[in-house]
Amino acid sequence: MTFVAIVAMAVFAGVAGSMVGVGGGIVVVPMLTLVFDVPIKVAIATSLISVIATSSAAQTVFVTKGLTNLRLGMSLEIMTTLGAIAGGITAVLISGQVLQGVFAVVLVYVAYTMNRRGGDTPAERTGVLEASFVDPVDGRRITYGVRRFRLGAFLSFFAGNISGLIGLGGGAFKVPIMNVVMHVPLKATIATSNLMLGVTAATGAVIFYGRGFVDPRYAVPAALGILAGARLGPRLAVRLRSQTLSLIMQVLLVVFALLMAVRAAGA
Amino acid sequence: MALERHVMDPVEKVVHWVLLVGLLMSVALMGVGMVLGLVRHEGLPDGVVAPQHLWAALRDGDAAAFLTLGLLTLIVTPFLRVTGSLVAFVRERDGRYVLVSAAVLTAMCLSVLLGRA
Repeated sequence: MTFVAIVAMAVFAGVAGSMVGVGGGIVVVPMLTLVFDVPIKVAIATSLISVIATSSAAQTVFVTKGLTNLRLGMSLEIMTTLGAIAGGITAVLISGQVLQGVFAVVLVYVAYTMNRRGGDTPAERTGVLEASFVDPVDGRRITYGVRRFRLGAFLSFFAGNISGLIGLGGGAFKVPIMNVVMHVPLKATIATSNLMLGVTAATGAVIFYGRGFVDPRYAVPAALGILAGARLGPRLAVRLRSQTLSLIMQVLLVVFALLMAVRAAGA
Repeated sequence: MALERHVMDPVEKVVHWVLLVGLLMSVALMGVGMVLGLVRHEGLPDGVVAPQHLWAALRDGDAAAFLTLGLLTLIVTPFLRVTGSLVAFVRERDGRYVLVSAAVLTAMCLSVLLGRA
């Protein structure tokens, strides 16, 4: 039965999405179009609704544990949202295939640098947007500051831009920007990226809703399934070592890069 | 193992409660819609109920109307989260983040307006 199959797919997407700060659109859009033969725009609308559900559900856990850097997230949300608006214009000016090809290369490079640096960035105090959380693995309080805020904000504009272009939440870009560029510890990065996904997805979802692409036959089981998965994900994520999370993230980045390379090649 | 617990600041509390209430309402509405659909052997509808018919359809106990309202609640929750943060930052007299929240909300609304065109 389609309903049960969509719920099962969404539970998996919810676990993956809330664990690594990527919304799950990477899973939902290809599965709906390839397996369930759903039209692409209905699939994207369903994915956006699932991403909102993942974000809201995971945040109820992440915020309570102090993992989400609200001030950092909201500062960058300005840039990602403006980037998404500009995405419409960029799509006209530059070939989407060229952009996707470039990003595929960037993603592989980021996965490589994360590997070389041995996973997570060391927490350092910088006096910029400082926050602290208790690492649930060893119970140590980690206090960190943000580095290169301006560069991170600048790059966030392009993260919002590309996520507008390809119809995903854009977590795969936000995570490396915060973790690698701004030196935010991976767990705080994932929680903050997850917060920002909700804003990107809700904005997109209103537009798709208005154009009649929200179909309850897919949106309802996807939302409920991903909620179940997203309740599970953070519980698993807070118990996992940062190195394990980092590895999952790297694999996802490479998969994402391959998908984009295939699209860029016009397949 | 006695772990040190995080104490939420006022803004975090608002974000936590807005998201939790939004989610629970949305799930409850979708749950009612699915039960109504099952009871009447209608299954899930292939479209949402138009805003002008929503209230009447809800009073008739129409499954599609409850599912529509559940999905709408889910979509609106992040907008309410940003609005809630804005109010919390005003109460904290944190001028910088009042501006940041207002800018995020404006950008979201701008994006929606441009997307409709």
